[in-house]
Amino acid sequence: MGPAQGQHAQHDSGHDEHSKDGVEHVLTLGPVTGRRQTLLMTSLLNASPVNVMEVLRGERDERPIANTKAASGLRALLEDGIFEQLGPAPRDPPLTIRASSLHASEHTYDLSLTALGQVRGLLVTQALRLLSVRHEMDNAFDEALLAWRADVGSNELTSYVDQLESDEWARLRTDVTAHCVTLKRSLGPLSSRWLPRTSLRAHQRLAGGSVVLRDVIDLMVGTTTSDQASVALLDVTTSPLGEGAERVMRYHALIQTLRSSTVPLRTSMFSTATGELWCSDVDDELLTRAVDDVLGALRAMAAIP
Amino acid sequence: MSQLTHRRLSPHILNRLIDEAPRDTLTLTDDHRRSLTARFRAVASTDHRRLDAWMVERAGQPYDTFRWSPATARRVIGNAALRRSRHDPTLTRFDAVALEVSDQLLRAVAGYSRPGSLASWLAQSSPSVVGLVSAEAANWATQLGEAAQGLEHAWSVAASDAYYDVARARTTLRGRRDLIIPRGLSRVLLRVRAGAPGKSAGPGLRADLTIDALAEPTGLAASRVIGLWPEAGVVLSVDGTMEDLRAGARDLVRTAAAFQRYRLAKAA
Repeated sequence: MGPAQGQHAQHDSGHDEHSKDGVEHVLTLGPVTGRRQTLLMTSLLNASPVNVMEVLRGERDERPIANTKAASGLRALLEDGIFEQLGPAPRDPPLTIRASSLHASEHTYDLSLTALGQVRGLLVTQALRLLSVRHEMDNAFDEALLAWRADVGSNELTSYVDQLESDEWARLRTDVTAHCVTLKRSLGPLSSRWLPRTSLRAHQRLAGGSVVLRDVIDLMVGTTTSDQASVALLDVTTSPLGEGAERVMRYHALIQTLRSSTVPLRTSMFSTATGELWCSDVDDELLTRAVDDVLGALRAMAAIP
Repeated sequence: MSQLTHRRLSPHILNRLIDEAPRDTLTLTDDHRRSLTARFRAVASTDHRRLDAWMVERAGQPYDTFRWSPATARRVIGNAALRRSRHDPTLTRFDAVALEVSDQLLRAVAGYSRPGSLASWLAQSSPSVVGLVSAEAANWATQLGEAAQGLEHAWSVAASDAYYDVARARTTLRGRRDLIIPRGLSRVLLRVRAGAPGKSAGPGLRADLTIDALAEPTGLAASRVIGLWPEAGVVLSVDGTMEDLRAGARDLVRTAAAFQRYRLAKAA
């Protein structure tokens, strides 16, 4: 499977999407419609075009030998790049980079970053966690909400949800339910032998703690102890896949490599808004580009006074 | 001199750390225990106090009120699941987690659980919360299982944490341990932690080392305690030397004193 190959029904022709990413997939709310008058709409497909797990696992015989040598080189590249940008002086507080730091573009406005969008994303993530343990969800919204509250206790977002008006509440319920239906249809069977892990956090300190890379991987399958590369990463988003999606996919692969010293087999992103799956095999080039992405994001952050 | 080894997580690093553990074994004597007891008794307390490595790392700051959550339940269920799947290789870790959760629920239904226990909390929780607990426990069991799977030495999942009640000092010490790797006459301990190690991670490991030795009836100390932070991909270790054991005991007494100060300040 080529890099960033779209799996949406409309993209069956399979031609290279690189050049079109910026045009087709970016959610650009230009001057025609004001931002406040525009809402993200959820479209539900009659049948899911992909089985996410099938794509992620791929052909067992075609898996390469696990690469356990790349991590130190990537770390060195990052350390050198950070030194060039920030110099030797320690930063306190440190500059923190997350997947969302790479997602954003100055020309786009990501609706998933609104409070309602964040809640929707969190609830769909909880639904994914429940699906990963084969929990039968009869009422996706209520069950995801209960799980989320048990997980986080109370915070700003739970208070925000408590204060929602009835119409906003209904919209959230409908929205989350629709996204969960798409997720459930597309995910496919998740064997316990694939060792599924959900919401895995990662934390990497660089440049003596001046820079911190944080990440959360929604779903990881496979093991790092095998001689063959078998780890596949999945990020589930409630937004359509945009130009930042590839950067996020690369970021997940980079952080997983730094964390475990083993290069994952593939990295992917699934949109519950469109049913689209982007999946890339992880190789040296992809990881080097991920380093460039991180340094680019760092450059932008450091430029802000 | 007290030594803290810092390594990045890589496929063979745990084996290397176990192989390089000191061969000499150390034993805490009755004199050591008496001396420690006297120091704890000098820090007067009206209430019973429980100290562990986490409190040492937080310089005696008391815990927030404990509540069960998927995150607090994962270690208990995850470790039990890994132990179960080790005894029955036909079980996947995931299936073992499901069985452990079922056992907890059965315990509650049968009336064998006390109020506030994990079993009674699970029994009162909705199925989706139980599902999330299973997901967290599966993460933990897989993480620990991956660490154990690469070991070239025999290993077992610790049946429980190490507890030591300091006589007449109203103090209970709790040392965390996840895997036990027998090594000659002694053993190497492995504990898995969430997040990233802070500056006080070393003292935390030393506290676990000391408590484990105290909890051992013979006083035999582990030859090394390895701390694994999978989220950060970092491995730290301290050796079971007398310097480290003394440093661990000193930190625990200091923590008791700091904890007492916090309590008095709160009461005032």
